Amino acid sequence: MKITRRGFSLALGAGVAMPAVLRSALGQSNTLKLGMVLPVTGPGADSGKYALTGAKIALDRVNKAGGVLSRQVELVTEDDQTTNPGAVLAFSKLAAQPDIVAFLGSIRSTQNHAMAPDILKTAKPVCFGGTDPQLTKLGNPWLFRFRPNDSYSGRVIAAYGAETLAKKNWAIVHSTDAFGTSGGKALTESLGKFGAKVALDQGYPNQSQDFTAVVLAIKQSGADVIGSYFTFDNDLAIFARQLRQLGVTIPWVGSPSITVANALKLGGAALYGTYGVADYAEESSPEAKEFAALYRKVAKTEPDNYGSWTYDAIGVLSAAINKAGSTDPNKIRDAILATKGYKGAEGEYNFDQYGDGLHGYNILRNEKGKMVFDKHIEFND
Amino acid sequence: MSVEAPARAARRPFHLLIAPAHIGYFVLSALVVLLISRATLDGYILNILMQAATYSVAVFGLSVVLGLCGQINLAQAAFFGIGAYAVGLGTVDYGLSYWICLGIGTIAALLAGAFLGMTTLRLGGHYLAMVTISFQQIVTLVMINAVGLTHGPDGVPSIGRPALFQTSQSYLAFAVAALAIIGYLVWHLQDTRLGRAMRAVRDNELAASVAGINVYRTKVAAFAISALLGGLGGGLFAGGFTYVSPDQFSFAESIVFLTMALLGGVASPIGSVIGTGLLILIPEWLRFLKSIPGLYLAIYGVAVILIILFMPDGIWGFIANFLRRFVKPVKVATVPPLVLAPDRTGTDMVLDVKGLSKHFGGLKAVDNVDFAVRRGGIHALIGPNGSGKTTTLNVISGLYRATAGRVVLGESDITDLSPHRRTWAGLGRTFQNIRLFRSMTALENVVIGAERRGNSLIPATGGYAALEERALAALEFVGLGPRANEPITRFSYGHQRLIEIARALAANPTLLLLDEPAAGLNSTEKRALHDLLERIAAQGLTILLIDHDMTLVSGAAQHITVLNFGKRIADGESLGVLRHPDVIAAYLGTET
Amino acid sequence: MSFILQLLFTGIGIGAVYALVALGFVLIFRATNVVNFAQGEFSMVAAFLMVVCAVDLELPYWLSFLIALGGMALVGAIFNLGVYYPLRHRTFLPVIISTIGASIFLANTTLAIYGPQPQVLPGWFETPGFQVGPVYLDSQYLLIIAVTVVLVGFQYWFFEHTLIGKKLQATSQDKEMASLLGIPVARMIMITFIYSALIGGIAGILVAPILFVSIQMGSSIALKAFAATIIGGFGDVAGAIIGGLALGIIETFGAAYISVPYKDGFAFFVLILFLIFRPQGIFGERVAEKA
Repeated sequence: MKITRRGFSLALGAGVAMPAVLRSALGQSNTLKLGMVLPVTGPGADSGKYALTGAKIALDRVNKAGGVLSRQVELVTEDDQTTNPGAVLAFSKLAAQPDIVAFLGSIRSTQNHAMAPDILKTAKPVCFGGTDPQLTKLGNPWLFRFRPNDSYSGRVIAAYGAETLAKKNWAIVHSTDAFGTSGGKALTESLGKFGAKVALDQGYPNQSQDFTAVVLAIKQSGADVIGSYFTFDNDLAIFARQLRQLGVTIPWVGSPSITVANALKLGGAALYGTYGVADYAEESSPEAKEFAALYRKVAKTEPDNYGSWTYDAIGVLSAAINKAGSTDPNKIRDAILATKGYKGAEGEYNFDQYGDGLHGYNILRNEKGKMVFDKHIEFND
Repeated sequence: MSVEAPARAARRPFHLLIAPAHIGYFVLSALVVLLISRATLDGYILNILMQAATYSVAVFGLSVVLGLCGQINLAQAAFFGIGAYAVGLGTVDYGLSYWICLGIGTIAALLAGAFLGMTTLRLGGHYLAMVTISFQQIVTLVMINAVGLTHGPDGVPSIGRPALFQTSQSYLAFAVAALAIIGYLVWHLQDTRLGRAMRAVRDNELAASVAGINVYRTKVAAFAISALLGGLGGGLFAGGFTYVSPDQFSFAESIVFLTMALLGGVASPIGSVIGTGLLILIPEWLRFLKSIPGLYLAIYGVAVILIILFMPDGIWGFIANFLRRFVKPVKVATVPPLVLAPDRTGTDMVLDVKGLSKHFGGLKAVDNVDFAVRRGGIHALIGPNGSGKTTTLNVISGLYRATAGRVVLGESDITDLSPHRRTWAGLGRTFQNIRLFRSMTALENVVIGAERRGNSLIPATGGYAALEERALAALEFVGLGPRANEPITRFSYGHQRLIEIARALAANPTLLLLDEPAAGLNSTEKRALHDLLERIAAQGLTILLIDHDMTLVSGAAQHITVLNFGKRIADGESLGVLRHPDVIAAYLGTET
Repeated sequence: MSFILQLLFTGIGIGAVYALVALGFVLIFRATNVVNFAQGEFSMVAAFLMVVCAVDLELPYWLSFLIALGGMALVGAIFNLGVYYPLRHRTFLPVIISTIGASIFLANTTLAIYGPQPQVLPGWFETPGFQVGPVYLDSQYLLIIAVTVVLVGFQYWFFEHTLIGKKLQATSQDKEMASLLGIPVARMIMITFIYSALIGGIAGILVAPILFVSIQMGSSIALKAFAATIIGGFGDVAGAIIGGLALGIIETFGAAYISVPYKDGFAFFVLILFLIFRPQGIFGERVAEKA
């Protein structure tokens, strides 16, 4: 037993020391480095994969076109473990490398919040995908958003449901996490402006397993349309199924999760005829189609908004650095803010003073399992 | 059920550590703090150290409740979160100063921990685990859903820091300084009276209660301290990272804290720091493994199992056990001989048992038994197997609650008192299967006995020195003085029994209950035991003895009470009772 | 009224799932005095095995089921040998930690092999459900309830009326005495773990068509199932069943009439109440320690 114990401790020590030894053996090169914080472990691991794919496709494209400032672009990634301290550590690790010019942040708003103080200190541009409207109102000049924030998704859902579908009696179903809560809030506010009523505002905890109570509440409320903010596919699918089982057929306009491929697979027929807002929709523009084609060549899954925003971020960043003509952070910042009319996979980027690049959403309709592009609603205020 | 306590060799108690060790600790800590505040550290290192320092404080809490007291706490992240949110909400929503918020958060966590402990510590083991998990889940749910109070899942950004420590680097220095001070106090805890009580409870709850320790209150105190440290760590954390959100304080995080405690060595704050440091650094070192999702955590899971298998004392325990071989044993001082001064107030009868009954469902283990023990001398309680002797003893000492009847010790009716209060009233006992505190030395075991409240032979201002002197005297008395600083595990069965007796004697009882003291002894040891009993009686201490060895009983006891099937069948002067036909029939049977 | 019936049906359905997983907990606890934190992962692994066989390899459903059960028996055996057996003489805490480690390992190995996307597992029946008056009866839930009844009946017969069942009971009540009587204790414990893994696996396969097959599916059920065992009375099989059903109903009604977001909290709140006022649960015996 003694030998085993000692042996174990030695092995442990060696195992722990090895990476440091390995790392010092690797060398440097003259590429332009961009840093990326993404979830490789933890519950967000799947979305991390798609984000990386999107970024890599964009990277290849940029490098084939000559790179940035005549240098090839390289992506340096760090795992954020899908936690807040993990994101902070990942970002600060990247930030400690002085040759990284700009960064891609997280799609999760709480992680971006957590990283914000370090981002402020590092004083270099960070492109992120989280949709909490607060993130661009922090007074932090280095945050640039590459997806339309939740105030827009709420407005678009409200606009489509209340105007296009002419339904004024709403049941709002939203997850109780950060995304769902802020989305639900945004939707409620917007509905007021369209003269619609909120008959039910129902939060549910993630990984609920059963939605009978929620469905019954919807039936009881007498609503004629559902607006939803679901975070997880499986929750969405279970809800959808129980909705149909209990005989609810009113129209349903949901947040982007209702449009993603896996949700469609899980929900099946229960999701036919539903509407979703999506920042990324393949048929919304030629650029979106181009992204889809490139994505499909590389990945085995369908393209979605996890990869489209990182694709656009790399694109916009590269263009901005080239326009700025230098790696000086302030110059890059000015160039990003001056970006107008950039046609990306997510839509047309027109950066406002707060750092928001997109101001609208696409509406998609579920036609028997296939997401069909309906229209794009944009707000120009 | 207790956590396994690591067997330790003679360890210099904290207060006996030479002054240079204490001074050295503070000097070293001050140097480290100075280094941190001056050196150029990049953001990454800063963040790692910040996380390690604040998490370590929370893990200290686990080293107290789990390592020291053997009680499981799976809600440490909830207490951590309470402290963090107090600082977050206090500075952001209410504009209070950081220090006040830190204080509020720590106290809130303390109260929550005490409340939780009070309601559930009467159960142990799995139940405690489940309650702490439930509490953790409820706290997380409240954090997420009580949006008006907690900002909900968005979390609280831009948390304030104390005016003196606004920069990250100075705050880190502050956090490390706090860590050093708190660590010192936790390290010191195990040699305080409370710390000893906790260790006794961990090692053997029953023995602890009978040695005069209020087990329940000790556990609650341990739990409360653990929660306090969790809250303190959380408050420090909030100031360090300036952003908190509910997802950081979930059950998963409690498991992380627990693993950190176990990895480093749950018994000591040094282990806590090692475990925390490693578990924060290792994921950073192993980032290259992250390319395959799940691989890193799968290895993590296996590693946890392996550590439990091969390094149960954790890393520090492993190192400490190794180093201990080089520590010279502490020399034993010479002390004046043991004095026993049992309370002589009240009647002739030191113990009066009237109409005592104990029923277990339909089984009447003890059925309406009366007997009295005269002051001075040795009284024996005998009977064939299953006659109810040990049950009677257990009712007298408070481990069972009597179904009916009264027990009077001297002038006090002790029928409804808990075991530790009976010890305070002057009752002492030993157990049939020896119950010593296995992680401690002989001396420490006996010191705990001496420490009981109401021990008239320990002066109030005596401090540890007085306790140690009396304990040594007791060990001398039973013939084990020179070996006082050896761990229990090094003693033979017979000697362990003597140590148990010494522990009871050190408490200066009025009545000493001995449950089968001769069991497992050879004839030489039995003669020595007989001698010991005579010497005890010579000092005026009354003994009530249960045993099967008739030679010992008839030789030592002046008065015998006999039980059979839970009823008293004989009571009187020894020789007469032993010749009584009913007694002979009970033991040997009759011819029908 | 129809609402109440609907809630009741769902409550019983999900309660039956908790009951099945709780059964697995209780069995292992009675035999080894260990709480198995990896019980939920047994359900998850079995569901993934079903997906591999029935969906990816397109084997017939019944064959996939048998293969999955075979796999679970193997998992149970390895779990016993690797996680419990080396620690069998230690106190309960190292074993709890070890099972936690095992649960992390199982979840993440599955993640590494299969990836993080939730998967669809088709149900046993073609028809998704029946409308009986105002109440919709999901056919998979009906199947779960039926299988739970059958399994409980089987378990009762097995433990009370077969020799090997009696041996298992003896082992769980007093290991030393059982071994002195010639009962091969190690083998009995192995059988217990395998059986527990099988029950957990069946629970997972049954519930997968409803909840979808994901890495987290196990842990969300397991914690509540554990609460159910305590509410029912720790160590008591009937208690586990009643506790599970009670919990499912409390949750469903609590969600409908009190609060959906706090739904998960009801289980724990009720548990704390029980632990304060009636720690032995509904059926258990007084918790006491021998001197």
